[in-house]
Amino acid sequence: MGQPVLDESPIGARVPMVDSAGKVTGKGIYADDMTLPGTLTGKILHSPHAHARILSIDTSAAESLPGVKAVVTGRETPVKYGILPVGHDETIFATDKVRYVGDNVAGVAAESAEIAEEALRLIKVEYEVLPAWFDPEKSMLAESNLIHEEKPHNIEKDYHHHFGDVEKGFEAADYIREDRFFCPEVTHAALEPHSTLAQYDSEADAITVWSSTQVPYYLKLNLASTLQMPEEKVRVIKPLVGGGFGGKSEVIPLELAAAVLARMARQPVKITYSREEVFYAHRGRPGQIVALKTGMTREGRLTAVEARIIQDGGAYCSYGVVTILYSGQLLNAMYEIPNVKFDGYRVLTNKPACGAMRGHGTVNTRFAFEQQLNRMASVLGIDPMEIRRRNLLKPPCMTVNSLRVLSYGLPECIDEVEERSGWREKHGKLPYGKGIGIAGSHYVSGAANAIIRSGAPHTTVNLSIDSDGIVTIFTGASEIGQGSDTLQVQVVAAELGIGLDRVKIVAADTARTPIDLGSYSSRVTFMAGNAAIAAARDAKNKILTAAAAKMATTPENLLIEGNQVTCRDDRRLSMRFADAVRLAIVDGAETLEATGSYRPPPEATGGKFKGGGVGPSPAYSYCAQTAEVTVDPETGQVTVDRLIAAHDCGKAINPICVEGQVIGSVWMGLGQAVQEEMMWRNGRLMNPGLLEYRSASTLESPPIDAIIVESNDPEGPFGAKEAGEGSLAATIPAVTHAIYDAVGVWIDTLPITPEKVLKAIDEKRKSEIWKSEARSQN
Amino acid sequence: MIAGGTDLLPSMKQGLFAPRVLIDLKGLRELDFIRFDARRGLEIGALTTISALANSQVVAREFPVLHEAAKTVASPLLRNMGTLGGNLCLDTRCLYYNQSEFWRGSLGGCIKKDGAVCHVAPGSDTCWAAFSGDTAPALLALEATVELAGPRGRREIPLAELYVNDGLVRLTKAADEMVTAVRVPAANAGWLGTYRKLRIRQSIDYPLAGVAVVMRKRADGSCAQARIGLTAVNPMPRLVTASDRLAGQAYSAALVEDVAREAIRVGKPLKTSASTMEYRRQMIQVFVRRALTDLWRSAN
Repeated sequence: MGQPVLDESPIGARVPMVDSAGKVTGKGIYADDMTLPGTLTGKILHSPHAHARILSIDTSAAESLPGVKAVVTGRETPVKYGILPVGHDETIFATDKVRYVGDNVAGVAAESAEIAEEALRLIKVEYEVLPAWFDPEKSMLAESNLIHEEKPHNIEKDYHHHFGDVEKGFEAADYIREDRFFCPEVTHAALEPHSTLAQYDSEADAITVWSSTQVPYYLKLNLASTLQMPEEKVRVIKPLVGGGFGGKSEVIPLELAAAVLARMARQPVKITYSREEVFYAHRGRPGQIVALKTGMTREGRLTAVEARIIQDGGAYCSYGVVTILYSGQLLNAMYEIPNVKFDGYRVLTNKPACGAMRGHGTVNTRFAFEQQLNRMASVLGIDPMEIRRRNLLKPPCMTVNSLRVLSYGLPECIDEVEERSGWREKHGKLPYGKGIGIAGSHYVSGAANAIIRSGAPHTTVNLSIDSDGIVTIFTGASEIGQGSDTLQVQVVAAELGIGLDRVKIVAADTARTPIDLGSYSSRVTFMAGNAAIAAARDAKNKILTAAAAKMATTPENLLIEGNQVTCRDDRRLSMRFADAVRLAIVDGAETLEATGSYRPPPEATGGKFKGGGVGPSPAYSYCAQTAEVTVDPETGQVTVDRLIAAHDCGKAINPICVEGQVIGSVWMGLGQAVQEEMMWRNGRLMNPGLLEYRSASTLESPPIDAIIVESNDPEGPFGAKEAGEGSLAATIPAVTHAIYDAVGVWIDTLPITPEKVLKAIDEKRKSEIWKSEARSQN
Repeated sequence: MIAGGTDLLPSMKQGLFAPRVLIDLKGLRELDFIRFDARRGLEIGALTTISALANSQVVAREFPVLHEAAKTVASPLLRNMGTLGGNLCLDTRCLYYNQSEFWRGSLGGCIKKDGAVCHVAPGSDTCWAAFSGDTAPALLALEATVELAGPRGRREIPLAELYVNDGLVRLTKAADEMVTAVRVPAANAGWLGTYRKLRIRQSIDYPLAGVAVVMRKRADGSCAQARIGLTAVNPMPRLVTASDRLAGQAYSAALVEDVAREAIRVGKPLKTSASTMEYRRQMIQVFVRRALTDLWRSAN
């Protein structure tokens, strides 16, 4: 199915995603769909203990089982790895200790799944069970029995930031409030479980991996390091990915395990996680305790904010150091806060490792902040919309922690949701049991500093244009359902003035496409978008220079539109785009090559303090959101009736994609708000499946209105910023605020179960009875 | 034996059952029927799907409690597969039982499967896993009987006698017997009825508590008779006998509350599911109160 040829620019056009057909028909190929001749099934043996020393492993019975082709344990995989250079604390299989129920102990490749499972049963492991840590506040006091010997007190990392002077700020405040919030751990629950197919070429001593990943480039680096192979011998190909949400934004044990087993067996090996294993691989949003103190004047101007944040990170570092920094650094860049103090602790516990999840690090802190802001507004009698307007940033500006903000659509977002929701007629005026609430949120458009610091571009896009004028984009950027491929096609078509049907894309194959850091931190639109523009400009420059010589004019006097190169001052003079390309192709070549890359400007890379590199972004998205709820005061059940989200994405290059991302973010935030929670008992996950881990069904999914606000970022591609994450966080405090408006109680602990709401309503009633009795006695 | 498989297959994947042979009952078309006769009452074949039950006009008209209960079972796709016989014979459920082989093994199993300890009631020698079917409490309230068939022939017993309040035993049905039909006496046709289900999601989820209430009213609006069935709060579905107090009474909020409070004594949920036992008990009271009030004060 070809793309429609548009008369107008493809920027802002509602065109279907270029890879949608296969997804709709079911013909699209995901990692688990693929099989090579001789493919073996890989399975992983997991630890039944939360914390134990491995005394011995006997794999002999498994190895001699007919049909078993390879068995591997930590002995063969000693190299430590991790997504962050400061967090290399994982091995493919445990070498000395297991650190959570589900940790990886051994791998098997066999001719069938049944044989592989039988082989796992035959592996005998002797453990010495150790005392385990499950509560982060207790874990961080640990003196002995540490999870990783090199991390005292089980603290992965702590940061202590102080910008301005919070003591002075609190002195200047008329009202200071302190609250404690708790957000339990949640997970991505992507529809596609992780899956990897690995093929080893023994002649070339090279490995090729097809994997459900958001980060092919980092996977390649980690495969090379853990397999101890040169990088050029490793190729990673990303097929279609069925959702990532951060759960595939780092190397997941099965990806390395499949490769190791394939090399040992000298046969292709495929591993696909069961849903339960996905929960153990995890990398979701950590449980977080936020002690928050905010000061403001009686007019509602923020004077100081102090946050003490503890994150329950699980047994390995993963993205933890970045997550804890985001949770503090992005207190800023939303509102004007002159004085900010942050004490953050990323704590290790004997549970699966937490990592990056949509809204990485910001969501739980944002919930706490917006909730407290709404609470203070209510005490001071200031309209919650108005209190936000009184604390707006004044861009272009630099926040106290050196985050640069150029474009800022938050004021328009607030106006939009206020208008659309009928806020003035509803807030505080609905009958008991009905309520409306508001909150805001924001997010980075890509991290300004790469995970591995270097001067290299964050992304490069190459174009190859053949003599028929067909453009092929070669990009490392990873389509994970968010629209990465479609966006780059639109941008290149727009910049070159040709139809979308003239542009093809080859993406995320490390042997064929240039380096891109991956699909995380909402970086693709901004970074790959800018690189695609740069590449298209390079191509255009070459084409117009060649055409100008032929047409006896200057390149500046030419433009490309509608697949034609045309003279600006004499529209009758024109030639077909393909003919111009042919002129530009150098002698002896078959195609015209062009390239472009992107690296964030130095001014956007943040402060020089410790941890200052995380949080800075070339641009921030903004969102304001209203929620309307009905609360049943006898059961505590909350029905979310409607959500309206206005999202400032700079410029909607494809409004369908933007709306889809905003609706998806809001829906995911709603799940965390009202239903989702990883339930632990003694380090054992009680709900490692989608029946008991309850993401919203269609019946709990209310109408979600996505409103696009365009602030046109000066550095964004055609003004665009991120759209995929920034709307998630606001949903949670908007819903809790609406519950307050409905029944007068604040819920500070997620998720908002009916039981918690009912309890809060009962307590409020009791305290009101007590108060009125006390009054009548006086 | 397998019919819809919606309960059995996920459990087999978790290693809870490993039958060498499965007998597929789906071909027994003669057990897929819904018949109603004003004199003989309602008869439903065990292989009738939950969807067929939920979509039956005669069930909706004459036995609204069963209609409502059937509509709340799982999700549309599962209702298309699941059968009434399967729903009545549903295995009991517990967070420590409905887990993978790996998960259960890491705890050394539980009293219901591969172990000796009950993790929700340590020291207990019975299993507290909760019966979690939705149609059973409705049929209990309608005084249904079930027909069982086996090598020794057919027998018919009150539905209440099918169940045992211990997750280890569950059913009085012998291993070589199967449920073939369910019958509801004609005397219970046309009663008012409603089913209230506590769950986190409004689709897919098993009940955390379920209340089925039926009532026959006199011309003057007083209650001639009422019955209340509970599910998901015990190892078997149970009737609340306190509903007898309503017979012959005019509507009274105090009386309703009295019965609602009594209902809590019948439901003894333990920590077998996501929600706490306190909340599930509280909701039994609220649901009984609401259901009774709605039926009693409804127009007809």
